[in-house]
Amino acid sequence: MGDTELDLSPSQLEELQKSPSASSTSTTSSLSLPSSPSSGPRPFTSSSPSASDSLPASSPPLDVISEGVGELSLVIDTEVAKKACQEVLQKVKFLKVDSEPASTAVEPKLVNGTSHTDPSDGDSDGLEKPVKITEEEPSSGTVKSARRRQKNNTSKQSWLLRLFESKLFDISMAISYLYNSKEPGVQAYIGNRLFSFRNEDVDFYLPQLLNMYIHMDEEVGDAIKPYVVHRCRQSINFSLQCAWLLGAYSSDMHISTQRHSRGTKLRKLILSDELKPASQRARREVLQPPPEHSLSPSKRTHQRSKSDATVSISLSSNLKRTASNPKVESSQDEPVRLTPQREFIKSLMGIGKRLATLPTKEQKTQRLISELSLLNHKLPARVWLPTAAFDHHVVRVPHTQAVVLNSKDKAPYLIYVEVLECENFETSSVPVRIPETRIRSTRSVENLPDCGITPDQRASSFSTVPNYDNDDEAWSVDDIGELQVELPEIHTNSCDNISQFSVDSITSQESKEPIFIAAGDIRRRLSEQLAHTPTTFKKDPEDPSAVALKEPWQEKVRRIREGSPYGHLPNWRLLSVIVKCGDDLRQELLAFQVLKQLQSIWEQERVPLWIKPYKILVISSDSGMIEPVVNAVSIHQVKKQSQLSLLDYFLQEHGNYTTEAFLTAQRNFVQSCAGYCLICYLLQVKDRHNGNILLDSEGHIIHIDFGFILSSSPRNLGFETSAFKLTNEFVDVMGGQDGDMFNYYKMLMLQGLIAARKHMEKVIQIVEIMQQGSQLPCFHGSSTIRNLKERFHMSLTEEQLQVLVEQMVDGSMRSITTKLYDGFQYLTNGIM
Amino acid sequence: MAQERKVGLLRRTSSSKKPLKEKVVLMYDEIFTKDDPAKTNPRFWDELFLMKVNLEYLEAKLESLDGDEVMLIKENLNSLFHHCVQALEEEHQIKVVNALQTLCALFRGVHQKNKSATGFDIINMLVGFDKAELRMKDLMESLDSLLCGDGSESLKSLCLKLLLCLVTVTDNISQNTLLEYVMINSIFEAILQILSDVSSRGQHGYDAVVLLALLVNYRKYESVNPYIVKLSIVDDEPTLDGMGMVVHHALTEYNRQYKDKDEERHGGFLSTLTNMVGSMFIADADEKLSVQTNEAILLALYEAVHLNRNFITVLAQSHPEMDMPTTPAPTVPTTPTTPLGTTPPSVDLMHNPELPLDPSMQTSNLLITFLKYSSIVMQDTKDEHRLNSARLCLIILACIAEDQYADAFLHDDNMNFRVNLHRMPMRHRKKAADKNVPCRPLVCAVLDLMVEFIVTHMMKEFPMDLYTRCVQIIHKLICYQKKCRIRLQYTWRELWSALINLLKFLLSNETTLLAKHNIFLLALQVVNLFNMFITYGDTFLPTPSSYDELYYEIVRMHQVFENLYCMVLRVSTNVGQWKEPASKVTHALVNVRAIINHFNPKIESYAAVNHISQLSEDQVLEVVRSNYDTLTLKLQDGLDQFERYSEQPRETAFFKELVRSISVNVRKNVSLNTLSQDVLLKEFSSIS
Repeated sequence: MGDTELDLSPSQLEELQKSPSASSTSTTSSLSLPSSPSSGPRPFTSSSPSASDSLPASSPPLDVISEGVGELSLVIDTEVAKKACQEVLQKVKFLKVDSEPASTAVEPKLVNGTSHTDPSDGDSDGLEKPVKITEEEPSSGTVKSARRRQKNNTSKQSWLLRLFESKLFDISMAISYLYNSKEPGVQAYIGNRLFSFRNEDVDFYLPQLLNMYIHMDEEVGDAIKPYVVHRCRQSINFSLQCAWLLGAYSSDMHISTQRHSRGTKLRKLILSDELKPASQRARREVLQPPPEHSLSPSKRTHQRSKSDATVSISLSSNLKRTASNPKVESSQDEPVRLTPQREFIKSLMGIGKRLATLPTKEQKTQRLISELSLLNHKLPARVWLPTAAFDHHVVRVPHTQAVVLNSKDKAPYLIYVEVLECENFETSSVPVRIPETRIRSTRSVENLPDCGITPDQRASSFSTVPNYDNDDEAWSVDDIGELQVELPEIHTNSCDNISQFSVDSITSQESKEPIFIAAGDIRRRLSEQLAHTPTTFKKDPEDPSAVALKEPWQEKVRRIREGSPYGHLPNWRLLSVIVKCGDDLRQELLAFQVLKQLQSIWEQERVPLWIKPYKILVISSDSGMIEPVVNAVSIHQVKKQSQLSLLDYFLQEHGNYTTEAFLTAQRNFVQSCAGYCLICYLLQVKDRHNGNILLDSEGHIIHIDFGFILSSSPRNLGFETSAFKLTNEFVDVMGGQDGDMFNYYKMLMLQGLIAARKHMEKVIQIVEIMQQGSQLPCFHGSSTIRNLKERFHMSLTEEQLQVLVEQMVDGSMRSITTKLYDGFQYLTNGIM
Repeated sequence: MAQERKVGLLRRTSSSKKPLKEKVVLMYDEIFTKDDPAKTNPRFWDELFLMKVNLEYLEAKLESLDGDEVMLIKENLNSLFHHCVQALEEEHQIKVVNALQTLCALFRGVHQKNKSATGFDIINMLVGFDKAELRMKDLMESLDSLLCGDGSESLKSLCLKLLLCLVTVTDNISQNTLLEYVMINSIFEAILQILSDVSSRGQHGYDAVVLLALLVNYRKYESVNPYIVKLSIVDDEPTLDGMGMVVHHALTEYNRQYKDKDEERHGGFLSTLTNMVGSMFIADADEKLSVQTNEAILLALYEAVHLNRNFITVLAQSHPEMDMPTTPAPTVPTTPTTPLGTTPPSVDLMHNPELPLDPSMQTSNLLITFLKYSSIVMQDTKDEHRLNSARLCLIILACIAEDQYADAFLHDDNMNFRVNLHRMPMRHRKKAADKNVPCRPLVCAVLDLMVEFIVTHMMKEFPMDLYTRCVQIIHKLICYQKKCRIRLQYTWRELWSALINLLKFLLSNETTLLAKHNIFLLALQVVNLFNMFITYGDTFLPTPSSYDELYYEIVRMHQVFENLYCMVLRVSTNVGQWKEPASKVTHALVNVRAIINHFNPKIESYAAVNHISQLSEDQVLEVVRSNYDTLTLKLQDGLDQFERYSEQPRETAFFKELVRSISVNVRKNVSLNTLSQDVLLKEFSSIS
């Protein structure tokens, strides 16, 4: 820990300098809004020109330092800033001349100074800067140990530095150099350089960074740690992500080494909640006044909103006793940053564990619903879904909507989560709880407007109670009448003209003319309305998720919103998440990263391939969460429910061959199919039965479950030898083997492969780093990476590649093993 | 242990002739003189509360005095009361215990003697008019702080007993003038706190809930009862949930005991044999008593559902099924006849905030347990207790059926449960296998329960009131389904045939029934239910064929409807009290008759054309399907509207009577327990 302190000191120092004045900017930059990182440092650079004017030749080092000091200048004044700059400059020179004694003392500060260099700032300086920096930087970068090598390598390193300073140098390259370079100086430099990348960019490589931290040598770890610690201070979410990943990726180590490993230590440090923003304490003292909402997250869970009428009743002093538990008081002054979220995740995992012990789907579903309804009691709280793209607080889990997913022995489940979007989940106040029943209106005494304001008034209002729910009055305040009709709006409207009578009853008692209706009309409406309901799946107790997933997302959102006491709030959102307990999601995460990488490569190269990487949250080596793909059901469910071939299902859902809708859906199908075929080939995705392939409402297919990739395959029965899964049904949807769409499909594959090949390194890198210290089955054997590289066929010409694609398509289509595998799945798991 | 104590108690009273008197008794005697006992002994009161209380003696002594005699020693009585209240604040817990028990005896002794005395006399006798307000305030505050403090659990239990004792000293709770002070000095919050805390709920929850239910009923219809107001606005979920748990637990316990008994009864040859032998010794009445209903807890449920809209969510709050054989602790006596004061056997279950892990455990909720309970209670409505219980169950169900939120979860397609309702063994039907109950939305269970009730209670002692409520509940549920267009997958046919059979029963027992009831109202309700199906079936029936089936059922049973029409026509043409209600039924029958008159000839001609004597169901349905278009129906007014439940004025008599019987019952049971506080004394004597 001792060395940690030492490493931290500069950044802490900086924090301290920064915080009182610029606390707001520092928090916004932790928000991970795309615009904020640049806006954060900008004020400092704007102030720096004045300083640099007086020191004409030394702009690069000044720039290097300008941030830390320039910030001070905002508070103090420019003269002082200039002096400070000069001082630091002196130090740098001193360092250059006599590196031996001063190195340890000054180096960190300098290193840290570099860290905040705004890349955009570097661009504006244009050509000059990199040249100049070559004089300064190598010395500072290599002070630590590699002084001897420095002389031999100066020229090479200067080129390297040129690259590092250029705007081409992105996070992917940084990670790559961090991984490949044996040069501690380079590693240290990149460690600092991490600070200058956008948070989201680095976040993508977080698994890689942490895996390197855990499993690679000391120097790499030292280079990474300051950045991680810095980010942890800024963000609870980042802290937890790190802690979870560190735990998960440390799990493959031997138990004895694991306990003392760096990863475990860092994890403990993070979870001990010591990595608070250094300024937080001070700030809290200043901002004490509104303690009710903003500060203590754990307290919130006990806080109850009382109905307005309560106030007027003279029980305030007494009820307080019941409403707030003694525990609350104790936790009030020291809010625990990480606890609420950790508890939330823990309880979700606990539910999964308990569900796994129940024998039937029905019991699991019932249990899930009841467990979630208990969970609801503790919401809203300062908790959030880490898979979401925006800041929010979870306010309610519509428990009856949750479903248990199909799995043989585990109990993954899908929940929908109502959240309220907010500026920043760490600082925004937690929403106030609204009771479940708030949506309805009732006749309870509370509704009496003047209930209990004074004893006398109460008395008078009470005498009216009997009248209140007497006949005529009661009809006019009919609860049910105020209910939103469950049917979609359009439906009621369209029905209105024909079935006016059945929608509204005739209330006027004095209607003179008797109204007649034809029995035939009633019967006809009944059958028409049943026919008009959109194709929903039938309820199947053995497959409860099918119905839930088939329902269009928008429809579901609307329905849940209507039934929610929070639904009226404008920032209400619905999210969903799959909770997996007992499953290792590290491979899924790896696959997600590769998919994401390929997606951006294809986008960059303008290849219209469509894939849908879904977010993965690894919580430990055997638990995690998955962001569900909305509006999609598995092909298995499609076939089982519709009893149609895939093509016929397309025709049923989207319309006839010639319709726009069908053609769009078909094109989507082809583009996604090509994308996933390439994915399956490159990553060797196995276990491709129809339960693992989803079909969304627009016609895309989406592969899920990357449990068997690279070197692993299920049970090694030798099934699925073909490059990817391409059944005749798929080809039929594409319009047959001779169709244009099929050619388009092959062309897309070729283009996609060429594009992927061009950026192979970016893909390999992700996989390669994760192989470090990993026992995951996908890295089984020694040739995983080599084989992966080979599948990019760097040596082939484009013509040869085309031949290869043709061969693969042919082979897959004719593949007997695919069919066999489907048959095998049908026999063993009932998957069609 | 209770048995033993009883015996000891008896012995004590019989041997009271012996002149040897305890010190405490001597001190009591001193109080019952005109002189101030503290005059001779300044430490008299201090010493008194160190003495073990002799409740019997004190009570008997008070009882033996007549009004004038009491007035003579009023000063001393007031002083005793005053010192009791003061002693409650003592640190010495033994004094507190003794004071509580003495107060108990005082309240009861004064009331038992002076049944004719007005409430004000009693207050004067006990506390003294001038100081009553202050003393009672002190008392209530002491009790409140004892209940909410961190003190001994037995002490809290004793406080609740005292309160129960105080609340039930009169048969008619509203005549208990002392309760005015309990209204002014509310202990509502203390009760809530007990219910919100898991451990105290386990130990005192039952007493707290019963106390609350009784307090809510104090002068309910005449004045402002703060407990009503406060109960109606509680929105603290843990508290409401705690209340639900207590009720849930009590009902579960009842269900479990019934089930055990039931299984015993039908448990195979050997047990039948032992049962036979056993029944030679045990009186029949005794057996019935052993599963006595628990109206107090049901009343609490009613008040919560009726008054508090937030409580509705608690109904659907899931808990693990608790009526599993959880091996009740043998040390705790749980005879349902004395539900008060007995600690629930599986307290640990209620303690456990996490749901326990048991794969065989079915999830349950308060509503399911309540439905099961209702199904048991409704089986036999012959004795008055059960009749009252059944009525209250139906009232609660009516409140639930009117509530929009409750309806939402009753009909929620995602909340499916298996509800094993108890069905009366009947000659013409087999006992349905429990396991085959499908997993369905809860409303199906409610409908099943209603159908079950309808088919099993057509007897001479016709429970007209219950039938009316039952049909109203069905009507409310269907109104909701129509409004929200919920197509419930339910076998409506069973309901239809049950309703038709009910009409048939009304017809065949017309004369006997008419002597007591207005059967036309019920008939009208039933016919209107059919009208709902006929005219609005398109909005809530699950399939087109179910509409066909409705017609089939009506046509098949046309005789019943025709007879009904003849009857109501006859009555409505005569002059008499039934003229108007009967004519309403004739109007309501217009569509049913139209259907019969339309389809019967069609079916006959179909049979004639095809030379079939007996048409099959499919053939009739075929005729029905092909002849809809020529049939015109009349739309009737207000079919989908119902009168909301209101306690006043219709139900006031029922509730007054119910509360009276609960009060008597609670008093009976509480007395046993306050007398047996030796354990408690031992506990404290060992501490001090």
